[in-house]
Amino acid sequence: MLLHPFTLYRPETLKEALNLFSSLEDAQILAGGTFLINRLKVLRKKGLKTPRNIISLRKIQEINGITEDKNTIHIGAMTTISEIYGSAILKESLSVLPCACKNLGTTTIRNMATLGGNLTCRYTWTEMPCVLSALDAKLTFQGKDLQKEVIPVNEFFKAQAKTDKILTHISLRKEKNTKAIYKRIPKRAEVDIPLLAVCMKAEKDKKIFKKTRVAINNTTQFVQRDTALEDFLNSTKLEKNTAKDCLKHLTAEIYDTKSDDYKKHIFRVTIKNMVQELMESQ
Amino acid sequence: MTTLIINNKKFELDLQGHETLLEVLRDHLGMTGTKTACEEAECGACTVIINGKAVLSCITLACDVEGEEITTIEGLADGDNLHLIQQAFLDKGAVQCGFCIPGMILSSKALLDTNLKPTKEEIIYALDGHICRCSGYQKIIEAVEHAGELINKSKE
Repeated sequence: MLLHPFTLYRPETLKEALNLFSSLEDAQILAGGTFLINRLKVLRKKGLKTPRNIISLRKIQEINGITEDKNTIHIGAMTTISEIYGSAILKESLSVLPCACKNLGTTTIRNMATLGGNLTCRYTWTEMPCVLSALDAKLTFQGKDLQKEVIPVNEFFKAQAKTDKILTHISLRKEKNTKAIYKRIPKRAEVDIPLLAVCMKAEKDKKIFKKTRVAINNTTQFVQRDTALEDFLNSTKLEKNTAKDCLKHLTAEIYDTKSDDYKKHIFRVTIKNMVQELMESQ
Repeated sequence: MTTLIINNKKFELDLQGHETLLEVLRDHLGMTGTKTACEEAECGACTVIINGKAVLSCITLACDVEGEEITTIEGLADGDNLHLIQQAFLDKGAVQCGFCIPGMILSSKALLDTNLKPTKEEIIYALDGHICRCSGYQKIIEAVEHAGELINKSKE
């Protein structure tokens, strides 16, 4: 037996799931299972308490899939990483997101893991928060009363985890004139979780960047935006030395996580290369 | 009772919510072709196909996939006639100890079901979740290429 016994619920509608979530004691939500099921196994091995009730969202169609309207793309929380990687809608309007999904875990993991699960598990090293932060994603939660609460992704990671609501959708503005890049540095093999990751987005207007976003995943803290670097890039005429000069404007505490010099060095090299790539790309 | 559809057959089973698909396949149904190895979604030995996608049965709850199409390694051969992917693995000498091979073959099937002429990079990408401790990766990649050719030929 790999798991301690629990009761599994398989609601078919969001309303049904929310009712169960609010009425059951000691209940946890199951999305793709790649984090939760493994964690339950570890808890059992350590002799620790595991939840008595698990609510699977697998059958709820209304929070699955990718749709678009004129200016926005909506991704259901139960959409898998593979589906995002293969999405024609996203490749057309927000190609950085499918690119970031390409090497997240392995093919079998990508076929199971969901975007909602990747966000709500709240592990510091997961990859989607970094990309979604740079893209100014908004998260929609719903509670038992079905009232929607929309939270910017950065606010979500600053606040406590929600224990009474379910993440239903992630919304992203379509970006027409911007270029975004995501870089991850894995430890060894490509499929490893990253040592660090950076997502950068900017709109280039002649010789300046506008609306620059720099999201940093140092893997020991939740995603952070380097606003000092963003301000520098938004206020500086782009010249030959800009990529090198921008390194003087990094917010040190984001990168200085008691990590070794190698990691700090790789951050600097990665950021310099990404700024250079953004300058040359448009 | 829970109804699982495995290799196009229906199985009515008395299951509990916490039982993984891996445990149900091996312990309830005797389908031991699906291998138990790391049990923590790292190695790919327990791979099965659900609704056309290669997934890990060690982190799938059996009751959660009720009514969905599950394919295990036992569902590939037709009696004594091997599936062309299995034949390709034999032809190319891709099997050493063989423990990782059922998972490798199912991930290969999921790939070849949508792309009969994958590039080497596409094969490596599709099999990136599988660990072969005999380190026979090169022959396995050749076997998948060969399997695509065999399936293409069989359709001519």
